[in-house]
Amino acid sequence: MLPHLSNKQRETLWGYLFIAPQTIGFLLLIVVPLLTIFVFSTEDRNLLTGQVVPVGLENFRVILQEDVMFRRVLTNTLTFTAGVVPLNIALALFLASLLSQKLRGITIFRVLFFSPVVTSAVAWAIVWRFMLQGDQGTVNQVLQLVGVEGPNWLRRPEWAMFSVIVTLVIKNVGLNTIILLSALTNLPNEYREAAHVDGATRWQVFRKITLPLLAPTLLFVTVITVIGSLKVFDHIMLMTAGGPANATMVLVYYIYYQAFQFFETGYASALAVILFVIALGLTIGQWLLRGRAYDE
Amino acid sequence: MSKLKLLSIILSICLISLVAFGAQAQDEPVSLRFTVWIGPGPAMDMLNGIAADYIAEHPNVSISFDTVTFSEYTSQLVLQLAGSNPPDGGWILENTAPQFVQSGVITDLMPTLMAYPDYNFEDLEESALGLWLDGEALYGLPFSTSPFLIIYNADAFEAAGLESPNELAARGEWTWEALAAAAKAIKDSQGIYGFENADGTVYAEGFWSTMFPIMRAYGGGAWDAEGNCLMNSPESVAGVQLYHDMVFVDGSAVPPGEAATFAGGQAAMRIGQISRVAQLDGATFAWDLAPMPDGPAGSSSVIGQAALAVFRNSPNQEVALDFIAFLTNEANSETMSQFFPPARSTVLGSDTFLNSNTRLTPEQMMLVVDGIATGVVLPSSPNYSQINLQTRALFDELWFPDADIQGVMNGACEMIAPLLGN
Repeated sequence: MLPHLSNKQRETLWGYLFIAPQTIGFLLLIVVPLLTIFVFSTEDRNLLTGQVVPVGLENFRVILQEDVMFRRVLTNTLTFTAGVVPLNIALALFLASLLSQKLRGITIFRVLFFSPVVTSAVAWAIVWRFMLQGDQGTVNQVLQLVGVEGPNWLRRPEWAMFSVIVTLVIKNVGLNTIILLSALTNLPNEYREAAHVDGATRWQVFRKITLPLLAPTLLFVTVITVIGSLKVFDHIMLMTAGGPANATMVLVYYIYYQAFQFFETGYASALAVILFVIALGLTIGQWLLRGRAYDE
Repeated sequence: MSKLKLLSIILSICLISLVAFGAQAQDEPVSLRFTVWIGPGPAMDMLNGIAADYIAEHPNVSISFDTVTFSEYTSQLVLQLAGSNPPDGGWILENTAPQFVQSGVITDLMPTLMAYPDYNFEDLEESALGLWLDGEALYGLPFSTSPFLIIYNADAFEAAGLESPNELAARGEWTWEALAAAAKAIKDSQGIYGFENADGTVYAEGFWSTMFPIMRAYGGGAWDAEGNCLMNSPESVAGVQLYHDMVFVDGSAVPPGEAATFAGGQAAMRIGQISRVAQLDGATFAWDLAPMPDGPAGSSSVIGQAALAVFRNSPNQEVALDFIAFLTNEANSETMSQFFPPARSTVLGSDTFLNSNTRLTPEQMMLVVDGIATGVVLPSSPNYSQINLQTRALFDELWFPDADIQGVMNGACEMIAPLLGN
């Protein structure tokens, strides 16, 4: 079989054959659609009428110069990300430190904090929507017991964003907690012990020893959390549908609206390209930071 | 000679196979697929029953009705149409009618209906066809022209010592103010809400189903055919104010973000069409239907419409058109009328129609007939999706105790002016 190939070539061929299924799937299902989006973004495309007109960069010009809604949506997306990322990571770090203690029954708590991650996003959003109702909601009824009158969380523009951020963080924090927890438990103990011997306080040990050692993991966690919050869709759709008064209309939801409610697939593709560029930019930025963190 | 013989044999073989092939083409299996927004249940059984009658006459045809969720209907339908396996036909809702009619994706029904034996096209009410006509072409056949009515909890009215809406209506005193007063009396005496908006959607995608009737009763509206925005007129604002007071002053209408329902017994009245009556099968209270209340400008009767259409890229257009004509002929319209009131005057006037719905009495069905006679169809526009999104964000600002209703409505008119100009 294949006599004219040298052993090395044969080995290479086998290697390619082994990765072929994954590569073909990746090309067909990820790369081709991704490239198609770039082509679509330069066209005036209507899904309903089937009309396609090449318009060059016109979609981008309209988005950046004329689309008032886009500015609103971009601000919302950045607000959402700026809310979710620090809250999620700070909470995950705090929980991971607590859960890394060697106590009896600590596994129960680990399972408890991780369980929302494996809960269906739909069920999670629907239950929270009921709990956050105006007067009838559980949250406000509990608040009432302590004499606080809670707002109509999801129907007031000034509270809706806060509510979707907090409910999403509670759902997802378990994943980051587990990642940080495994990093924490794998940290070499010598440095911390040495610091203790030298008389460092607990906070000093955490700040000067643990945190720098955790830096690579923290950056990884930050990258996935940032990208995750830029891409948020189902949670917004089920909790607020972008309302009230567009207070929670984020970029991906706006893309969905343009593509599947207005049927403007060209315009929606241009928006998706912008999202891609933002996510790519942030990731590269964080990657560069990661390099610096290693150097230190 | 033998050459001629051979030629004639070849010719006759060709002819025979041609005839055979032609016959085969006619009997070739055809499977039709229609998109609808109802799920399994009595109405679906009825549709399948009519389809079975058609199949009995055309054994080569099979017909299926695909359920698509109502709230996602238009976007799902458009996606399916753009895909490689488009449905042959489907239902279209009134608010997106102009969008579909202008898009060029629907086939003209007129030639088929005109040629269909005993179709009695003249019987269809002209006013009901308006949305679906473009010149001489008819792009959708409104099989359901269903007026909104008030469904009320008779026990709650009795417990509050109130006269029923029908008693008030008989004296010409059933007005939106009377409805608001009754809702408040029920809220104050029994602690349940007095009024639930249409399907609980007024604070989201269904603003017009609840607000358009009230605005109309006060002499206002959404926008007119010339593209003039009417929703910031003093009359429209007065209508919104009435509902706003019910929510925030009286506390008698289900407020935003709460899930109290009429069927669950947590609200004593609701706006709804007769198809919603099926939800009340397990209800623990006595209920009845009443007409929509009047207002200073008269009736607030409003109609929701749904039409059947055949899509241009269906490979089985001819058969699909033929089936739609069959489905909406006089006899089948009568069958369908128990769930979907047709725009056929002979059916609406018939005893069969009045007795068609086992859940409703002939008197209650008469309300449907009256509602169609006095009603206008819900607002629609070629840019309905955009208008809906843009106004929805603004309308969110209506639902606070201290909302500036006139200001919000002015803003809405200003925002959609370019979309109406189309």
